[in-house]
Amino acid sequence: MSSARSSRILPREQGAISLDLVIGVMAFLASLAAGGVLIAGRSASSWESGLAGRLTVQILPEGQAPLTSEVDAALAVLRATPGIVYAAPLSDADNLALVEPWLGRDAVIAALPFPRLIDVTLAPGETLDVAALDQRLKAVAPHAVLDDHGRWIDRLRSMANSVVLSAGLILALIAIGTAATVAFATRAGLAAHREIVQLLHLMGAQDRFIARAFEWHYFTASFIASAAGAALGAAAFAAAGGLDQVGLGGVSFLPPLVLPLRELAWLGLIPVAAALIAWATTRISVMAALHEFY
Amino acid sequence: MVRFEDVGMRYGTGPEVLRDVSFALEPGSFTFLTGPSGAGKSTLLKLVFLAEQPSRGLISLFGSDLSRLRRGDLPPLRRRIGVVFQEFRLLDHLSAFDNVALPLKLAGRKDREYRHDVEELLAWVGLGERLNDKPATLSGGEQQRVAIARAVVAKPDLLLADEPTGNVDSDMGERLIRLFVELNRFGTTVMIATHDRALIEAARAREMRLVDGRLIEMRGTL
Repeated sequence: MSSARSSRILPREQGAISLDLVIGVMAFLASLAAGGVLIAGRSASSWESGLAGRLTVQILPEGQAPLTSEVDAALAVLRATPGIVYAAPLSDADNLALVEPWLGRDAVIAALPFPRLIDVTLAPGETLDVAALDQRLKAVAPHAVLDDHGRWIDRLRSMANSVVLSAGLILALIAIGTAATVAFATRAGLAAHREIVQLLHLMGAQDRFIARAFEWHYFTASFIASAAGAALGAAAFAAAGGLDQVGLGGVSFLPPLVLPLRELAWLGLIPVAAALIAWATTRISVMAALHEFY
Repeated sequence: MVRFEDVGMRYGTGPEVLRDVSFALEPGSFTFLTGPSGAGKSTLLKLVFLAEQPSRGLISLFGSDLSRLRRGDLPPLRRRIGVVFQEFRLLDHLSAFDNVALPLKLAGRKDREYRHDVEELLAWVGLGERLNDKPATLSGGEQQRVAIARAVVAKPDLLLADEPTGNVDSDMGERLIRLFVELNRFGTTVMIATHDRALIEAARAREMRLVDGRLIEMRGTL
């Protein structure tokens, strides 16, 4: 017996709009959490790949400015080290760009005790003995500090994992909330339609048939409501992307809240998941309630 | 077809509404169940159409001892029974046609297979022009006729009716009893709970009388 035919046996119940609204809001929140996971994952891996194979040497200022002789000596050591394909100091413009997110566009770095930064690129796949290089640098430039970004990459990885874990927990809570809401609505629906359910039962309807009428009802309602919620979430990410493009993005050192089209497509799984949760919850609730009848 | 042996029934911790009831309905029989209000007629019918379980005693239905059946075995038995409820119990959101077609739908039959039969039956009970009307727009008598049509449409092996002519005039009452007799002739076992003496006399069938939950009198032949 098809679901479509069994579904017509139940009337559209009162209070269905508020259930649709709750499921829609849940799906919207789920889409924000899922989008957060995608953005965090993508940003962490792009930062990580951007920093892999790179080193930074800082020549800390002696008094007001770094010693040019130390910069030259450090550059000579770096360029003589096998495996290093590029080593050059950052320009003032590059330095300004680095501090701009914190100090603003008009920061006067010349007036600040600002270290000289040397950008170092390794040959692809090359690994260096960082401790040995650090010792050789220290020997010619006592104010040199070698940074292989390891700590930064570890922290990035740990932050990305935390974001993914938190978002996963949020998604799990939303799934539990959706299931509880649907279970509550199903029980209310069964109570409202008790007469109909009892009559169908007495006329010899199998429990599966009665359950299917409810399942189909909540499956389609949840799918439509959560599709609307997820679409709203996708629209929010698209709007954030639009704002970012016209220069009204968020904090410049954080990744833009933008989801490319292929990542937006993942949000399409939210209505499918919501509908499946509603289907399973309804089946369990209705079968349990029907067992109260002889 | 139906056999009761020393059946007793009480709701919760209340008094027994049926006491030591024993009887048998043979296949193809036609029986009236009579008795004053509150005598237990509706409860007895509920036990037969598997809405309630007895507090004691044995009931067998279609040759099966109900106490030995699992819950999942009951729906096929229920589909062999047509019931006309005293309060009709029509589905308000469905049309007269869909209400009558419900047992056929539950049996898994397709709309195009039963459409003609349902329309013909509704025409026979005088509702041929009201196929698409909802119960709320029908009079009490019309609702009763829809309920009767629903009970007989699947040609059940056992037909149970609780005061089936209570809301119709005598002409329609006679027409409906002819429908029951006709079904009985084709093999359906019929049991009707009623106060309507005219109906009982017209059908000249067996009568079982309940008083204070006891079956005190059985009259007529099987």
